This record gives sequence, C-alpha cells and structure tokens, in this order.
Amino acid sequence: MKVLLVGVHHPELVRGGAQQICYELFKGLQARPEIEPVLLAAVDPTFRALYKSGARITGFDGREGEFLYLGRDYDYTWHKVSNPQLLEAYSEFLEIVRPDVVHFHHFMLLGLDLLTLTRRVLPRAKILFTFHEFMSICAADGQMVRTFDRSLCTRASPVRCHQCFPDRGPEEFFVREMWFKRHLSVVDAFTTPSRFMIERYSAWGLDAAKIHHVTNGQPDYSRGAPPAEKRAKRNRFGFFGQLVDNKGVWLLLQAVRQLRAEGFSDFTVEINGDNLRFASDVRRAEIESFLADEAALPFADRRVVFNGSYDVDQLARRMARIDWCIVPSVWWEIFGLVISEAWMFGRPVIAANVGGPAERITAGQDGLLFEVADAGALARTIRRAATEKGLWDRLAKGIQPPANQEVMVDAFLALYGMDFKGSPLIGVQE
Amino acid sequence: MTTPDLAAPDLVAPDLAAPDLAAPDPESNEHETFDEIEYLRIHQDVAQAIARGEVASGYAHYVAFGVIEGRALPSPTHEPRNRLLVSHPTPASVPPHETRFAIDSLIVAPAGGLMIVGWINDAHDPIQCIRIAGAGWRVTIDRARFVRVRRHDVEQALDRNGQHPFGFFGFLHFDRMVDGAGPCLVEIWLAGGSSVLLPVTPQVVGDIELRDIALTHLGTASFAGNAAVERVACLDAGFGDELVRFNRAITRRIVATPYVERFGPTGKAPGARSPRGTIVVCLYGRAEYLFLQNCLFAGLPGIEDYEFIYVSNSPEIGETLLREARSSSLVYGLPQTVMILPGNAGFSGANNAAAAIARSGRILAVNPDVFPRDPGWARKHLDVLDNAPAERTRLFGVPLYYDDGSLMHGGMFIDVDIGLSMASGIPRARRLLRVEHYGKGAPADATRFTRSRPVPAISGAFISIDRAWFERLGGFSEDYLFGHYEDADLSLKSIAAGTVPWLHDIRMWHLEGKGSTRLPPHEGGSAVNRWLFSRRWSAMVEAGLKGPSPTYPAPEAFSPGPTTRARIRSTPAR
Repeated sequence: MKVLLVGVHHPELVRGGAQQICYELFKGLQARPEIEPVLLAAVDPTFRALYKSGARITGFDGREGEFLYLGRDYDYTWHKVSNPQLLEAYSEFLEIVRPDVVHFHHFMLLGLDLLTLTRRVLPRAKILFTFHEFMSICAADGQMVRTFDRSLCTRASPVRCHQCFPDRGPEEFFVREMWFKRHLSVVDAFTTPSRFMIERYSAWGLDAAKIHHVTNGQPDYSRGAPPAEKRAKRNRFGFFGQLVDNKGVWLLLQAVRQLRAEGFSDFTVEINGDNLRFASDVRRAEIESFLADEAALPFADRRVVFNGSYDVDQLARRMARIDWCIVPSVWWEIFGLVISEAWMFGRPVIAANVGGPAERITAGQDGLLFEVADAGALARTIRRAATEKGLWDRLAKGIQPPANQEVMVDAFLALYGMDFKGSPLIGVQE
Repeated sequence: MTTPDLAAPDLVAPDLAAPDLAAPDPESNEHETFDEIEYLRIHQDVAQAIARGEVASGYAHYVAFGVIEGRALPSPTHEPRNRLLVSHPTPASVPPHETRFAIDSLIVAPAGGLMIVGWINDAHDPIQCIRIAGAGWRVTIDRARFVRVRRHDVEQALDRNGQHPFGFFGFLHFDRMVDGAGPCLVEIWLAGGSSVLLPVTPQVVGDIELRDIALTHLGTASFAGNAAVERVACLDAGFGDELVRFNRAITRRIVATPYVERFGPTGKAPGARSPRGTIVVCLYGRAEYLFLQNCLFAGLPGIEDYEFIYVSNSPEIGETLLREARSSSLVYGLPQTVMILPGNAGFSGANNAAAAIARSGRILAVNPDVFPRDPGWARKHLDVLDNAPAERTRLFGVPLYYDDGSLMHGGMFIDVDIGLSMASGIPRARRLLRVEHYGKGAPADATRFTRSRPVPAISGAFISIDRAWFERLGGFSEDYLFGHYEDADLSLKSIAAGTVPWLHDIRMWHLEGKGSTRLPPHEGGSAVNRWLFSRRWSAMVEAGLKGPSPTYPAPEAFSPGPTTRARIRSTPAR
C-alpha cells in the first residue's frame, strides 16, 4: 500500500505538534514492510534557500520518500493556493506517486483546494484528514478563543465569528463554513487525537460516524534514562513548550508572583521553550519583564530559570531537573504532547482542566488539574504539590505509559484498510 | 470644493439698456453665433470703427479689444445652449464687479464632456447661463442644466443661513473631441444682464473619471429639504439626460474591447454536450467570488449542463481572475469563460456583453454572492424549463435567502414614494418609484412568497431568461449607471412586451451587497437610476402595476393559475 502523508511544515525546519506527529507516523510507516510511505511537507518562503528555481515540489535533504511542497502566494483568509502552477505540480506529483491513501495532516500552506483536487485526480484513493486543532471551525487560528476577551469559545456561528472579527461581516463566515465543508466533504475519514474534538466537529456539522479517535503516539524518549531520583521534597516544576500566549507561561509566572506575595518560596520553576517572538506584545512584555526582574535578584532568591529551546534528545536532562510538569494552557489544548513526554519520564502533570489534558489526566490519580486561566488556582495547586507529603509518589505511581508510535501507526493502518464506499466525489463529473 | 474666497471678482451690471433678445438663427453658421448686430448696437463706437475700416467686424473687435476693455456682450447670450460650438481663442479679462462668486473647478474630459463646479451669490439676480470657451471650442450651459446645491461653507462665509442654494455644478456631454489643454474662459451671465469673464485652468481627466466626479458631486450634494427627493428632482432639466448619454457612450466604448479566455472543457471534446444554460456572473472589485462559486456550484447534480461566464468590470483584478479561473478549472472542472472589460461598463453593459458570447439559449444572470441553497438547483432549473409552459419560463427568478436562514425575498413589486420637492421654491409632490420585495425577512418556508407564481419583477441577483427573449427585449438597459433597477426595468419591459415574469421555487443564498464594493459615485448613480426608472415606468406602474397585488395588464395576469405542469423535484435544503 502506498500512503502519501501531506502536512504543514517539516519538523526539521519548524517545531510543532502537527508536523511532529505526521513525521512520527511517516517514520512508523517506513518500518512496516508492506507500506510505502511518501511525505509531502509544505514550507513557506521563509526558507528561501530551499526554493529551487522553477520548482514547486522538491526532495528534502537527500531523505528517502520525503518531499517539500514549496508554498507561495498563500491565501490565509480562504486557505487556498493562489498559484495555478502549484496545483499543476501537485496534480502531477499525485499522478506519479499514485498513492492508495492520501492522509492530510493539515491544509495550511497547502490549501484546502488540494483536498478536492486530490479527489479529482485520484477518484478511487482514500482520503484521510487529521485535525490537530479547530482551524476549520475557527478563523482565529483555530484556537477557539474569543479575540476580544480571550475566553474559551464553544461554538462558531456567523454572528459569533463576526464578534471576534468586527471588520468581517457574518456573511463572510457563512460562506467560509460552506467553503470549508465543501472541501472537507471529499474526505473519507477524519481523525482527532482527542475525543472531545469529535464532539466539537460533529456539532459543527461533520458526520460523527466519519470522525475517528486516533491518539498521538511517539517513540519513548526516556529509553536508557535513570528513574527520578529520590528526594525529600518534590518542589521543582517545569514548563515545556512554546512561549506563545495560549500555552499560558504568563499564567504560570503570575502564579509564581502570587506565591511569593503569600510568602511561599520553597519551589523552583524551569521554563523550557522558545518562540516568545510569536507571543502578543502585552504577554511578551510581561514575560520579559518578569525574567529581567528575576535575573536581578540575588541568586538565592531566584525561583524561575529560563533554559531556552530544547530538542527531544535533551529531554532526559531537562526532565531530570524537575519533579512536576506544568501545562497551563489557556486554550483548548488539543492533546498535549508534553504530557506524554512527562509521563515517559515518570513526571506527574499539573494541567488546566480543559481539552486534551482534562481528557487524559485523571486528577488525583496520575496528575492534578486546576481551573483554566485562573492564576490563583494554579498557585494553590503548585503549593499543594510542593508541600503535600506522599502526593508526588502516589501520582507518579499512577502514571500509565503513553501510547507509543506503534499504537498510533496500527490505528491509522486499520483506517487505511477500511472501505469508505459512498463518499461523495465532489468535482468528478458523473 | 474650495473654501469661498471673498476676494473673488464681483459682477457689476453694464451701463447699458437691456439688449434686444430677438436672436438671429444661431445655427446658420458659426460666425453668426456671435451676436454681431447686438454687439454693434451696444457699442456704436465699434460700428464706427468698422465703417472707418479700422477693424473687420464686431467679433474681431471683441476678440482683440473688447474682452480686455471689459465690453459687455449682449445679454443674455443668444448662443444655442448646451451644445459645443467651434470658436476662436479669446483673451482673458476680469473686469471689476460686485456680486460674489467662485469657480471651484472646471473639469474637462477631452473625449466628450465637461463639468463646472462653483458657487455664486445670485439670490437677487439669478444666474442665466455660463459660457465656457476653450481652445477652438465653446459651450454655453443654460441655467436649467445646473444643479443648485447648498454650500454650508459659503453660507458661513457670507453669514447667510437661509435656504438659498449658493452652490452649483453643471455637466455637459458632447460627442466630439475637444482640446482640454490650456486655460479656458468662463463667462457667467445673470438674468439682470450683468456678466463676468474669468480665466480658469481646467483639470483634464478621462471620461470615466469625469463621470465618477459628476456622480460623486451628485451623491454627496447637500440640498435644502429632503436630499433623496431633491437629488432626483434636480436631474429633470437635463443633468440626468446628460449623464445617461455620457455613461452610455462610456459603456459602449468599454464593452467594445474585452479580453476573453475560456477555461476547462470546451464542449468540443468527443461526446461533450453543449451547455443548456449559461451562468453569467458580473464581478466588480472582488475576485474571490470566482473560486467560491466554482467550489460551491461544482459537483452538484445537473451542473454539467451549464457553462459559466465571469465578466469583470474591474480591470485591476483581471490577472487574478485569469489565474483563479485556471486554478478553478483544474480543481473543479467547470467550463468557464472569463471576460475582462477595460473599465466598469456597469451591470447591464457587462451582462449584455457576456450574454453575447454565451453558447446556450438560456441566460442565467447570477450575482457573484449567490450560492446554491438547494443542492439540486441545477437539475430543478432544467426541469422547470422542460416542463413548465413557455410563458412561465421565458423570464423567471427564484427565492433568495439571507445567510441567517430567513427569506431575503420571493420576487419584487413596484411601489410609489411621494416626496416633497422644494427646489422651485414652491412645494411640489414628487412621485418616485421604489422596488420592494415580497417576504423580506420572512421565515424560510413562507410558501406564499416562495411558491411558483407570476410577479411584477425579479431580482437581478438571479434571473433566468430565454436568450431569444432577452435579445428581443434589447437585453438589460444600458441607460442605468453601474447597477440598480436594470432588473426591474427588464421585468417591466417584458411585461410591456407581453410576458409577465415568474418566480419558481429554486432556492439560493444571496449575501446581498457583499459581492462588490460600494464607492461614492455609486450614490449618485443610484439617484440617476431611480430618476430614470421613475420617468420611464411611472405611467405603467400607476396604471395598475403598483403595490404587491397588481392588476396590470389584466387582473388575472398575476394569478398563478392552474397548477404548473412542472415536475419540480423536491430537494432538501441545507
């Protein structure tokens, strides 16, 4: 079986959950002798050096089966390709590769119209689509966070979306929904890494029977790492991830301030991650100001350490420095790969009680949950975690190993083998 | 408009008795357009100079000396009004005067039109005409052709807050090229016989720009009284006709040189069917509707029997459209033609031009922001054509829906607004036709509005018309500017020719007004269109076509009659 995986970004070039999972799947499929996987990862002109003159699709760094889709002229409003040569190159690529399955992991930089074009070029191929966020539903970067007050959104509608984008009328969102659904209608099966997403997408109008839950799976990065050392206190906390607003590192720093104000300072917080440049001006200033103040304190008074970016092969060392992993996301965190990574190293997770974390963590059994976007609640949870005797041991014991790459690959292979007769053939003349 | 300059030259009445108004035939030849006799009667010293052989004629004297000396011309000028005349250049001169005035701008489109904008304090001695002379041409615009408007800036500067319309603008269309370069002489005549000559350097623009400037002035002008009524009323005396004629010439010029490219299946492939319907979509300003419609019309049952023609009134999006059409034909596979016009020919001009290259005998004029609500619409439309009596399908529309799910309308009717115009100083009732919609905002399934039935008019957002009938009616009237009322006009033309439009229950979404960009000239265009539509159809409407239950041409004309033979398939809506 030939499987074409189509996704946004290549994890070698840009970090992110969607591309990481797509790539893990690709590597997993490569290990299966009966499968011939091909990866097509979209890049944008930021990587100008990779754009070979006149090319629209090229190989990538001499790697077998890996190709780059050299995106350009992308229409971010309608999420479409504005360049016919790209469409022609993609058509030709499909005709050459002739995959049995085309599995999309995103449409960004690629264009939604590639879905419909795939169906036209390969009427009999199976088309799968994995949702990694809510970008189809929500024009606010798929986060489903309301732009005017950052509250969590539970339902899109023309008027509600207009409220988030006052310059754009309800009609535009009405057409947007029709546009997205028409392209998504060529998909045989959707997958989501979390179950709550199925509810959200079926409420939006997709056929729930077509949406399957396939958990994200990663290789076990902890192989060979020693278990957590025994310590009298479990008061070392860590944040792993991007420093963008929705990941909530600013909330964690607010909680630290509050704990200090309450006179509690017997703890440390280590921040691992980057992309602060993508945070909003307000949050970036808040974070930078905090870190500058912290650096100005006498060494003994410092509680927060900024370690910067990391690769997965550095995880063991970074995890060894903490007891707890904090996931303070203030959006519908879809899955939380960092939860899996913490669990690989036996670290219990403290997370906001929404989305994927709420679904995956059983509070009091393998981790702790706090009220989303509530710095006070996070502060109380940190204090409890740092002071309650036996809590860490009990929760660490309750951790089950996260799904690995093999589990995910098996689940997708089962879907690839399903019979999807009856799917509409949009754009194919009868 | 400029701020009034109170140091502007003033007018003073010449020290002469009112001249004899008996005029020679002004059209016998160009030389006689200068009132030689009257000029010599007024200035007897000139007559004596001619007798002595010192000058050749009164006109020659006027050109060489009279202007400089501030000699008065016969008042008011007897020249033919509102017509371009050939003349010799005249040197400028500004005599001392008293009445305050200013010319804000003189705009000339060498291809055939000019506009003059200014203000004058003529409350006690009204303006009579304005003569404008350029290099080798001159024209006298009659006062009736001027639109008089309120100028709050002038009222403030003159400390006058009355109702007198100090502002004026005039527009004239002519059918020959003129030299717009260099200064012009503007001569203002007042009814009392005084005049002034003023050199003005014109702003030279293209004809489209001139039209848009004129419409913007009209659309933004301030009037004493109800602006909507006065804006229409002021068009009666010629300004409206001038604009319509000027615009028609622009439209004809624009549609004469389109760029046309076809995409997708051409119909020449073996086994390919000729289209049964041509969906004509007129685009203005926004290109994205091409791919949105391609996406949302493609793949629906029966769509293979249609072709699309996208005709663009926005040359600036031409390349984008061609690119999108190329992409869309690859992704969606619909046969489509893109026609790029070199300017805005308006809804009518564009649709007529596109219809002329249609490959089917059925034209569907569809707005870019119209999308299928009924997935089976394409086949249902053909079912209506195949099964309903011909007189019910010759021209028909469909129910249109808002994005919120409610009915936008199920057909249109004509009503009459009665406004009060104060332009003449005496209150006068002004009857203006208004297009109304059946069932605006009604629940989606309000069958009284959605059922198949004859209606007085149908919306241009979706019109299905037999091509032969369309051609017999002369297509959409190109007298209307940009877009408005052409649909009702076509409907009434059809009624006048013997076929009442129908509405058939084939449901479409319509995101009204979202398919194009509205600019300032469009407001003026709307006024002209309403004025024109009212003038053209008031008699028929008043004869029984007025209101939601019309009786013209006969009481039974709007009865749905026996159940239609159409076997229309029922397809669930979204």
